Amino acid sequence: MSAGRPHSSVSLTLVSASAADDPRKDVGAEDWSRLMARAQDGDREAYRALLEGITPYIRSLAARCFKLPSDAEDAVQDVLLTVHLVRHAYDPGRPFGPWLVAIANRRIIDRLRRDTRRKTREVALSADHETFADPATNLPGDSPDEAALVQAIERLPPDQRQSIRMLKLNEMSLKEAAAASGRSIPALKVATHRAIKSLRRMLKQQSDRP
Amino acid sequence: MTNTPDLIDALVACATPVRRLRPPLARAGLWLLFAALVLGLIAIAHGVRPDVAERLRQPVFVAGMFGALATGILAAVASFRISLPDSSRWWALLPLPTLALWVSTIGYGCSTDWVSMLPDGANPGEAVRCFATLLMTSVPLSIAMLVMLRYAALLRALEVSIVGGLAVAAMTSFALSLFHDLDASVEILMWNLGSAVLIAAVASLFGRSMFTWMAARLMPTLANPPLDGDRE
Repeated sequence: MSAGRPHSSVSLTLVSASAADDPRKDVGAEDWSRLMARAQDGDREAYRALLEGITPYIRSLAARCFKLPSDAEDAVQDVLLTVHLVRHAYDPGRPFGPWLVAIANRRIIDRLRRDTRRKTREVALSADHETFADPATNLPGDSPDEAALVQAIERLPPDQRQSIRMLKLNEMSLKEAAAASGRSIPALKVATHRAIKSLRRMLKQQSDRP
Repeated sequence: MTNTPDLIDALVACATPVRRLRPPLARAGLWLLFAALVLGLIAIAHGVRPDVAERLRQPVFVAGMFGALATGILAAVASFRISLPDSSRWWALLPLPTLALWVSTIGYGCSTDWVSMLPDGANPGEAVRCFATLLMTSVPLSIAMLVMLRYAALLRALEVSIVGGLAVAAMTSFALSLFHDLDASVEILMWNLGSAVLIAAVASLFGRSMFTWMAARLMPTLANPPLDGDRE
C-alpha cells in the first residue's frame, strides 16, 4: 500500500533541497507532506488544514498567469479539485511541494490553452448590449435625452403622467390600464394623446433653448 | 462556481480514506503481467508460428522480436512513471534505444533479404488472422492502460497516451512476429511497423480525447467549463 512511509526522513531532506531556490516552497511543505499522508488515511481535519494552507500559495501561482481575479480563482479551484482527485497518487515518501507545483502548473497551462482556444472563436459582448426585462433597470438611463424625457414626464399633470406611465412605459394594454386606474378607456386615450403633445412641446422648447 | 471556502468544505466532506498508488515500477509490472496473460491465451488458442525454433536461430529475427518486447516493457515503465505529476518527463525517452534497435532490425532484415511476396502470393486468410491477433492484443492492453492511468487525464494526457500507445504497439508487434509466419518483407513491414504506427497514431490522436472523456467522468466541471456569464 504505502511505498514510502519508512523514508519520511529522506523526504524532509529532499523538500529543503528542492526549495532552496524558492523560499516560498518550503513554507510548511514538511507539514503539508505529513498532512497529506494523514488526509490519505481519511483524517478530515488534516485535509482541511492542508487545503486551507495550500490555497494562498496556489492563488499566488495563478495570479501570475490570469489577469482577472475571477479567472485566477477558477484556476485555484481547478487545482484544488485535481489535488482532491489524484490525492491517492501522492507518495508520502516524496516531497509535497514539487508535487503540488507540478499539478498547479499543469492545470493552469490547460486552462490558459482552453481560454486561448475559446477566445479565437468567441466574441465577448460589451455592456452596451446588455438589457433586462425589468423596466426599472433600463429607466431612467444615463443619456441626457432619457433624463430630459423623465423630467418632462414628471412635470405632466397627474392624470396624463399616470396614463403615459401605464400605457407607454409599462406597456400595459388599455383594458389593463383602465382596470388599474379606474378610469374609462376613452379618458385614458385622451390623456395619453394630450400627454404626448405636451411632452413633444416641452422637449422642443428645451432643445430650442440655447 | 461556488466560492473557494465552500469548495474546500465540500472536498473535506467527501475526503474518504484512499488507497495509495503502488510504485510505478510495480504497476508497470502488473500491466506487463496482464500482457503476458493475453499473449499466453492467444498462444494457447492460436499456437505459435510453426517455424519459431528455426527462426529463433536467426540473429536479426531475435533482435527484432526482443527489441519489440524490450520496447514494450520500457515504454510501459516510462508511461507509468510519467503519469505521476512530479516525475521528470525525460522518462518518456526511456524506450528510445530499444525502439531504434527494433525499427532498425526490421529495416535491416528487409534490405538484406528482400522477399516481396511468397511464390504462392499473398495469403488473404493469414491477413485476416493477423488482424484478429492485432485486435485481440491491442484492445485489452489499451483498455487496461487507460484504466490504470486514468488519473493522468488531468495531468499529462498527451505524453502518457503517446508512450502508452508505444507500449501497446510494441507488445502487439511482438505478438504478431511470435504467432504469424510473415516471411515476405512487405508483410513484415506492413504488419510490424504498420500496426505499430497505426496504434501509436490512434493513441496520439484519440488518446487525449479518451483521457479528456475520462477526465469528464472524474471531474464534471472540467468538461463543462463555466461560461463567463455564469461567474459571480
